[in-house]
Amino acid sequence: MFLQLIISGLSFGSLYALIALAMVIIYKTSEVPNFGQGEMAMISTFVAYSLLVSYNHSYALSFVGAFLFAAALGAFLEFAFLRRAKDPNILSLILITLGFEMVLYGVASWKWGADQRNLPFPVSDFDIINLGPAVISYLNIATLLITLMLMLLLFLFFRYTKVGIAMKATQQNAMAARINGIRTNRILSMTWAMSSIIGAVAGMLLAPIATLDPNLMLDPLLKGFASAVLGGMTTLVGAALGGYILGIIENLFGGYVSLEFKSIVAFGIIVLVLCFKPSGLFARHYVRKV
Amino acid sequence: MDMKRDYYEDIQLLDSKVLWFWFLMLIAALVTLPFVTPKYYIYMANYMAINVIVTVGLNILVGYTGQISLGHAGFFAIGAYFTVLFMTGLHLPFLLALVLAALVAAFFGFILGLPALRLEGPYLAIATLGFGMAITQVIGRWQLFGGRMGLETPSLMFFGLDLATDTQRYFLIIPITFLMTLGARNLMKTRVGRAFIAIRDSDIAAETMGVNLTLYKTLAFAVSAFYTGIAGGLFAFVLGFISPSTFNFILSIYFLAFVIVGGLGSIFGSIMGGVVMTWLMLELDKVQELPYIGELLISFSENWMSVSGLPNVASIIFGLIIILLVVFEPLGLYGFWIRTKIYWKTWPF
Amino acid sequence: MDGGNTTKDAFFSVKSLTMSFGGLMAVDNVNFEVKQGTIFSIIGPNGAGKTTIFNCISGLYVPDSGQILYQGENVTGLKPHRIAKKGIARTFQNIELFSRMTTMENLMLGRHIHMKTGPWSGATFHRRGSKAAREEIQHRERVEQIIDLLDLQSARDQFVGALPYGTQKLVELGRALALEPKLLLLDEPSAGMNSEEKQDLIFWVKDIQDELGVTILLIEHDMKMVMDISDRVLAINFGKPITEGVPEEVQRHPEVLKAYLGEDESIGHAA
Repeated sequence: MFLQLIISGLSFGSLYALIALAMVIIYKTSEVPNFGQGEMAMISTFVAYSLLVSYNHSYALSFVGAFLFAAALGAFLEFAFLRRAKDPNILSLILITLGFEMVLYGVASWKWGADQRNLPFPVSDFDIINLGPAVISYLNIATLLITLMLMLLLFLFFRYTKVGIAMKATQQNAMAARINGIRTNRILSMTWAMSSIIGAVAGMLLAPIATLDPNLMLDPLLKGFASAVLGGMTTLVGAALGGYILGIIENLFGGYVSLEFKSIVAFGIIVLVLCFKPSGLFARHYVRKV
Repeated sequence: MDMKRDYYEDIQLLDSKVLWFWFLMLIAALVTLPFVTPKYYIYMANYMAINVIVTVGLNILVGYTGQISLGHAGFFAIGAYFTVLFMTGLHLPFLLALVLAALVAAFFGFILGLPALRLEGPYLAIATLGFGMAITQVIGRWQLFGGRMGLETPSLMFFGLDLATDTQRYFLIIPITFLMTLGARNLMKTRVGRAFIAIRDSDIAAETMGVNLTLYKTLAFAVSAFYTGIAGGLFAFVLGFISPSTFNFILSIYFLAFVIVGGLGSIFGSIMGGVVMTWLMLELDKVQELPYIGELLISFSENWMSVSGLPNVASIIFGLIIILLVVFEPLGLYGFWIRTKIYWKTWPF
Repeated sequence: MDGGNTTKDAFFSVKSLTMSFGGLMAVDNVNFEVKQGTIFSIIGPNGAGKTTIFNCISGLYVPDSGQILYQGENVTGLKPHRIAKKGIARTFQNIELFSRMTTMENLMLGRHIHMKTGPWSGATFHRRGSKAAREEIQHRERVEQIIDLLDLQSARDQFVGALPYGTQKLVELGRALALEPKLLLLDEPSAGMNSEEKQDLIFWVKDIQDELGVTILLIEHDMKMVMDISDRVLAINFGKPITEGVPEEVQRHPEVLKAYLGEDESIGHAA
């Protein structure tokens, strides 16, 4: 059972890692945790569903279409609303992302209602491989691989591409970046687009095992945030690691202590980490001169 | 000049004959309302009053002390559940149960305030979010609280009278709301309120001027939670039935929306925010019944969306209101009010 | 015992104060002693560590080592609000006013430690006679005196965020005075003021010393002001003390001249 819990933990951990990554990418540049990101992912997943089921497109087309939608949505939200905030204090920014959350939730609930659907997926959760006493499904494998691949891509992107470096520059010092010719506004929109796509990937990997309804991402969002808090909201690697750690701890807790209260683990972690090491396990702690 | 009278005016609530007049008018209107309007509006008034209490309480924390809370639905839930449990389990009279439940909420507020001492901005937001959701989860799974099925509220026995109708409850809820709002206003005008505002504007300076940050930050959380707890307890009776699904994250956001719409840091704004948003919330619930817009929306729903999901328009509109207000008028309705007053004052006659 | 002129009954003294930030030594073994009722100035180029010393005294930083003694009591490392309660108030180099409160309200906050109204009495005051109301009125009268002293009547009911810079500095001074301190820390109070305002300020600082009997620690760049009103001066650079003594001596000290202006110039010309 231990092995099974670990496998399951890694699988969910991947999802949490993705959400955490999406969140950290935005947090590092826009300096606000994007509370709307769950619904952004959810609605993109619904778009995929729509393209697949209502319009009967192929997997490739539908998923790509959903990603394009996610990117456009992210860029639009940043451009149209976040940028215009008159008073850029943290409460205002958080409220704007909460506003996104409500609008998107409303739109999705309106369009697709509360009926539970299933997202058809090229890889099934029911095809399994036996690993000794435990089983691992094709979907689990796909989730792990896709997440790892995505993390690798992100790493390369930030290290070696012009845009990636520009993003890092914008995050560290927007003014200096501008002076150096970086179009920070565009970079911000691209950051949101990228984050939205990553969130959409998480949503689409989750949908086949959960039920696809507007509440799909409410819980995972919080777990993703918890992961980011655990690993460090300012480090991508930390956030991803936080996701895996949370996934594993949560599953072990559910298996050995109490299935009922499994979800509380995430909150407990948030509270503990914030009390003792607010910057996260893996983030470097900068001393600020007052 | 009588110096004493001068200073008292600074903090007095009604400092002119005109205000006294309007004040008495308000009281008269509130008293006569139930006798001249249909029952539904009394229910609405009760709901509004409860939301005003929450808004005032949350504003104390967010608007005046400059903290953040995305978890106030948790305190609301504590107020509701504990009031019911104290009455059914311990057979306490209503008022006592209500106050005790609010004190339980205040205690949890204090607990939440402790990590808040070291956290700011996004970290605080996430911590309070986690707290709110944890409360809901625990309540939802613990059989003591009725689990997923929820609890039924007992009859509201108040000094021997069974307050069973909305009107009867109205005459209990409105005075409570009134007193609590007044209390908040007074509080903000005196030493404690000043300390709160000081913490918001510059906690470093506040501390060097002698404000014990630990004490006052946790106090702000506790007071805010107390208010929300009272509102929750009253809410249980307005609804008649409480279940964990009511006290979700979305509710916490709604509470924040009430505060923002009304205006951060303004009691008057909180009253407006609570009233207007409750009205909006209840109206949007039956959006399909609106004269023209309703039909438009229904036909739109049939063609592009699902008709059953139409009430979710409320969510969309709320979200847009929040975004637009934050972007354009951070001072909310209170800001509009002030601008209008200034505009009229400078109207050339 | 421990070096220098430390006397057992010094009003205020700092001994071997050391404070570093991650390897950067901001304050390095600073010692000085202040007699009650005097004005003691600390001078030095920007970044010399002067404000850091103040922050240590205020309790905002806990020094790495050293002692801060106030009226014979060791107050090193106490939390800021405890320091305030002992009667030590300060102003800030970059104004730290409560920008969305009025001048009156800012000053009233200075009365915080002298008032007792708590949440319950604050929420329930309902008429003149109640405890909270009486306390409010009583303390507003005190604050009014300070407003009169500093000529702030016109700014009394305005939001301080909207006031001109020089007036804001005065409000900060007033707020510190409202605390009725026995020791007042002024961090560059004349920065940003024009010469008229500076004249008034010198007047007021002297008044505070003479009439209110307040001991004053002053950080200043305006040498004329420093020479004019200080009883003793400490010069520091790179966190290390250069010299300490009466203004005329410090002014002529070669290290001090070098730190500020390079060689061959007398500080007396700087203004």
